[in-house]
Amino acid sequence: MSRAMTRFGSALLCAALTAYGLPAFAKDIVLGASVQLTGSSANTGRYYRDAYQFAIDKINEKGGVKVGDKQEKLALKLYDNQSNVNLSVRQYVQLVSQDKVDLLLGPFASNFALADSAISEKYKIPMVQGGGASDQIFSRGFKYIFGTLAPASNYFGSTVEMLTKLDPKPSKVALLYADDAFDVSVAKGTRPLLKKAGLTIAMDERYTSNASDFNSLLSQIKNANVDAVLVAGHETEILNFIRQAKSLAVAPKMYSFTVGVPSADFRKALGKDADYAFGMTAWLPSAKLKDKWFGDAAQFAQDYKAKFGYDPDYHAASGVADVEAIAEAIEAAGSTDHQKVRDAIAKLNFPSLYGTIAFAENGQIDLPQTVIQVQDEKLVPVYDANGFVEKPKYPMPAWNAR
Amino acid sequence: MDLLAQILVNGILLGGLYAVMALGLALVWGVLNIVNLAHGAFIMLGAYLSWHLFTYLGIDPFLGLPITAIVMFGVGYGVQRGLLNLVVRAPMFNTLLITFGLEVVLTYLAQLAFSADFRTINPSYAGSHVAFGPVVIPLARLMAFGIAIVLTVGMWVFLLRTKLGRAIRATAQNLVAARLYGVEPRHLYAMTFGIGIGLAGAAGGLYGTVSQINPYIGATLTAKSFAIAIIGGLDNPLGVLVGGLVLGIIESLTVAYVGATFGDVASFGVLVLVLIVRPSGILGKTA
Repeated sequence: MSRAMTRFGSALLCAALTAYGLPAFAKDIVLGASVQLTGSSANTGRYYRDAYQFAIDKINEKGGVKVGDKQEKLALKLYDNQSNVNLSVRQYVQLVSQDKVDLLLGPFASNFALADSAISEKYKIPMVQGGGASDQIFSRGFKYIFGTLAPASNYFGSTVEMLTKLDPKPSKVALLYADDAFDVSVAKGTRPLLKKAGLTIAMDERYTSNASDFNSLLSQIKNANVDAVLVAGHETEILNFIRQAKSLAVAPKMYSFTVGVPSADFRKALGKDADYAFGMTAWLPSAKLKDKWFGDAAQFAQDYKAKFGYDPDYHAASGVADVEAIAEAIEAAGSTDHQKVRDAIAKLNFPSLYGTIAFAENGQIDLPQTVIQVQDEKLVPVYDANGFVEKPKYPMPAWNAR
Repeated sequence: MDLLAQILVNGILLGGLYAVMALGLALVWGVLNIVNLAHGAFIMLGAYLSWHLFTYLGIDPFLGLPITAIVMFGVGYGVQRGLLNLVVRAPMFNTLLITFGLEVVLTYLAQLAFSADFRTINPSYAGSHVAFGPVVIPLARLMAFGIAIVLTVGMWVFLLRTKLGRAIRATAQNLVAARLYGVEPRHLYAMTFGIGIGLAGAAGGLYGTVSQINPYIGATLTAKSFAIAIIGGLDNPLGVLVGGLVLGIIESLTVAYVGATFGDVASFGVLVLVLIVRPSGILGKTA
């Protein structure tokens, strides 16, 4: 009995070791990343963990990546940065100098990408990141950082355009933003857009990241009789903002948020109260977006949901695009040499489930933002580059008239 | 003028919520001399408990508060009896370390158990309000404020008038004398910590109805509670209420009239000021 147990045990141990050790002794191309799996950004960080792994598995399933005349598999080396920027920088140093990974994938959030891209630049190893949209990341002349999120400065671009076409046209706008790299870039880009559109900026307020009490700001919004409220912040703040708007009966004609609205978890937490909220996304799971590995974006969204149990949003699609960009670039370069891959990434131009992947001179992608709105607890595309898609529910009724 | 009135109301209601959050921390700190760095994590657990009661059993978060408080009392009693009593006479640094460790463990267990998804406790009236002319008072916050007053006064009466309350104060003042009078410190410490954690649990339930819950809300709530306890003083639950109100009002005014990034600057500025001018808190006894 005990011998059988021992044998069973050692068999298990062997199996575990093989499974665990596989990436180490096969000659895989290892992509390294440090992502928020725990801590305050864990909620969005998981999109990247799941997207990276999903894309790598899919590419391997279809035979891997062609390097010269050999087919090679991809592998992922992932660390949890605990939502701590300093730890994330240390982990990227470790990925490059000790783990000797071949290429880098990015973290989530602009402040992380801003810090971590200094490592990829220093070690001259390309990093394709899908989590940082701040223009700051790409304004430093770095050569090894590429980003698949549309520029933060233009997040509200399509929204402002839509504002001018709404009836009745809003005139007074409040701009609220959190004090971090991404949201500051959003605000900086939005101000001139609002001025150009002839809208009055009645409030322009920066608030502390992780603020949980918006009662004062909401009272000011009500007092200033603002028509449209644009908030650039984090999901937790926006949840609190909407809940507190309801309890203070603050209902501007419309409000729009940089994050939250595309995420199913966010809409679920708010239930009916999420209705009427506007947001934006550079990605919708449309069957028109064809993809070499996943078929198309609609198919991808379905498979992703089946595998992970939640709907992907643009963060997930952007993460997949990062892996695909690296795979395409390795094939084009015919090697994993950092310099060659870097040059190949800069020249990429291919269709993917996320949209056409092509980077500008500064390393950032440019994709138009589609304005979306929650209508009857469902996400509806409202306005894109070609004008209105579906009719927006506007103006937002008073809270007690819903 | 309307705006000022509204901002003041906001600040007072926020202060009530702050006071409930800090009540348990101040009690444990004052009596056991343990600065419980896991206090916010216990608030978080209380919030999740209320959320589960509401979502799966349909128990109203305000009616469910006693259940949450009693369960959390049990948790607190167990933690003190099984863990913190081992270090209660050790230097303060040890208790800081162990409660910090507890905070980390609880937070990560919460992520494993509940995932990092956001939760809100959203009863039908959570978003309703009562209006007095132009001033709007959110109902959930008003109820939370009422509960804050009840709990604070209740604590005050409990400490002054009941046998257990007197024993707790006696132990805080002079352990040797208290033991000579038949107080069993291990049990008493656990009771005190249990009450502190029970209060944290109740605060969590209230917090979940006005804000959002995720496993990581604890650390900032601990910091806030810490500031309130110092501002108000540890001697007296009423001091905590005053501390909470002062902080709530100052934060609301600062955000509205100075700038939204200065809320924390103002609140921790007040903390420093109180430490300089009245080191034992606004209502604390002066030496």
